[in-house]
Amino acid sequence: MSISMTTERADHRDSEGQWAVETHGLTKRFGENVAVNSVELLVPRGCAFGYLGPNGAGKTTLIRVLLGLTHADAGTMKLLGHSVPRHRAAALARVGAIVDEPRFHGHLTGRQNLQILAAAREPEAKQRIGPSLERVGMLHRADDKVSKYSMGMRQRLGVAACLIGDPQLLILDEPMNGLDPAGMQDMRDMILSLVAEGRTVVLSSHLLDEVERTCDAVAIVDRGNVIRQGAITDLLAGSSFVAEVECSEPSRAGELIKGTAIGGRVEIGPLGLGITLPAGTDRDVIAEVNRVLVGGGISVYRLQEVQTSLESWFLQVTSRLGASE
Amino acid sequence: MTDTSVVIPSVPTPIPLGHSPDRRGSWVPNGGMIATRFMELRKRRGLMVALIFVTIGIPTVFLAIRLLAHAIAPKSYGPAGGSDIFNALVAGVLYVFGFIVAATLGCTAGSVDLTEGMFRHLVVTGRSRLALYFARIPAGLGIVVPLVAIGFTIVCAVCVFAAPTQISYGGVNVPAGLSEAGLSHWAADNANEVVCDFPFRIGPNSNGNLGNVVQAVPCGGPGGGPGVVQKGPGGSSVTTAPTPAMIRAAAVQIARQDYPGYTKVFLSPSVGLMVRTGLWIELEVAVGFIVGLGLGSLLGQRTVAVILMIVLEIVLTPILSRANIPHMINLQRSVVGLAVAHLEPSSLGFVFGGGGGPGGNQGTSQLVPESRTAAVFVIIAWMVGWTALGAWRMAKRDA
Repeated sequence: MSISMTTERADHRDSEGQWAVETHGLTKRFGENVAVNSVELLVPRGCAFGYLGPNGAGKTTLIRVLLGLTHADAGTMKLLGHSVPRHRAAALARVGAIVDEPRFHGHLTGRQNLQILAAAREPEAKQRIGPSLERVGMLHRADDKVSKYSMGMRQRLGVAACLIGDPQLLILDEPMNGLDPAGMQDMRDMILSLVAEGRTVVLSSHLLDEVERTCDAVAIVDRGNVIRQGAITDLLAGSSFVAEVECSEPSRAGELIKGTAIGGRVEIGPLGLGITLPAGTDRDVIAEVNRVLVGGGISVYRLQEVQTSLESWFLQVTSRLGASE
Repeated sequence: MTDTSVVIPSVPTPIPLGHSPDRRGSWVPNGGMIATRFMELRKRRGLMVALIFVTIGIPTVFLAIRLLAHAIAPKSYGPAGGSDIFNALVAGVLYVFGFIVAATLGCTAGSVDLTEGMFRHLVVTGRSRLALYFARIPAGLGIVVPLVAIGFTIVCAVCVFAAPTQISYGGVNVPAGLSEAGLSHWAADNANEVVCDFPFRIGPNSNGNLGNVVQAVPCGGPGGGPGVVQKGPGGSSVTTAPTPAMIRAAAVQIARQDYPGYTKVFLSPSVGLMVRTGLWIELEVAVGFIVGLGLGSLLGQRTVAVILMIVLEIVLTPILSRANIPHMINLQRSVVGLAVAHLEPSSLGFVFGGGGGPGGNQGTSQLVPESRTAAVFVIIAWMVGWTALGAWRMAKRDA
């Protein structure tokens, strides 16, 4: 999937068909606290998009503003090309969302809860209840009361509630919460299948590993600001990587590397070295490391290039921000 | 999760820009929203049990016991039906408790989506929040109005079909439906009971001996009054016991005097009265539900809202309806319970526990005075005002 993103303000005429979510200068305050700070967010259509951030970063608040659950203090936003809140009804007609923990009427069955939600949507939504329940694997428990459901089952019911609207855009806030490993795998597969059908899935999560496995693009939010956004491959390509070396005489090996023009940051451990190389470093440098060490009489047992994971990149980005303050 | 992508269209249907499908932005709810909201309320088992118990159970159990007792020991226990029972059950039970259960249902309907986390799902559908609010009104009324109607119908049926064959007037069993002449004949035949137990007054048109005759008749005790003073031979006054003819004449006079009151003590409620009373009870219930709905939505939680509604109905309304508080008369008139009480059918006399009596129509006469027009205006203002408040809060609330 080709994803091209920019943080520059997009031309509205061009963006109507391109972006599933588009915000400009979106701001939400709670008294003195700025929960969403002039956010410029562009979510391409037809992809899985991760919205990442530490606790209290403003992820859920942004989703609540987008969905009209609370009002924005400043800025503009569009969902599926429809201006919100002006064309809120048309925009949300093809949006499904889970915000926070999905809760339902406990005295009703899962199917009856979906009937209430379907009645508020278009007439065809009623016919989608059964298929939606089947798709999330809840058909066999559809006629049990929700009060008897586990957290994971309520999550699945929440996804089914999204699907009855035949959504072009799904916004899922921490959808893996409460799911067991098999449930997480199912959820991951379902998100990918939804994307394969041409739908857009925005995934808010702090489970970076899950996001990396599921999403094509991400935005990192911290203290209300979107600090990075783009395709994961593009973002990680711009990050440093590590050459791990397992060798004899780690201290002398470290001195040898520092004495060359290889550069990078060398960390010496009991079993070897970790050489952090800046983004854009040629891979031949790894071969050069090997030559230097072998030439210096060091026995090299293992030499491995370790690509930066989303998690380590996330920590790099957020720690850099913390250090700059 | 199974791979059943075939059942959900793989290509979502786009919505044209600026187009709102199925009038989703309209404040008017559709039939499906009302039906599912009705279902959501009806499935609340505890609430429904309480509703049915109060509106149907209490009157039914009360009447069943009376029917049984009368069937077993008719001399000790009077008939189950009749106007007095009708008054007591309608104005004493259905009126007050019907309001409370309707208000409880309203408070529940107004707050549970929020407290149970469903409000957020509903808002995300894009449906107008006003439509979400207004869907609750017909749904709730669709539950409470029929229940009250069923309870009221049971009361009416028993009160009509198990009505006494004689009415109790002043403690005396009198045949019902007598004309003035008929009552006079009956009074002449039962002169002692009439003279002793019927209320009467001595006015300018009364026979001069009426008071003396009444005092002279022994009523349950030994002897009687001093007797009737008559002219004796030689012009002297002689006190003698009243003759049976004098007692009969006094009884006839009392019967004629009491006839207007007698006609108001009906054997069983008339069809017209039952219809008017039924509409009046339903009005009270509708007011309770709509005010409760608005208050529940405004507060966002049920318990406090229900307590406030009970305090309004049980404590504030009776006090403000009867107490004469200087400089606050207009504030008292703005109480919705007082306004509804002023629309009470005139033959009922027990509203707010006030004692009716022979002739009825004494319940509202003890209330703070208010014209019917003003009462109607107050009721409309309460219903519209609380609906506006509840809808406004729902539209502006963070979900």
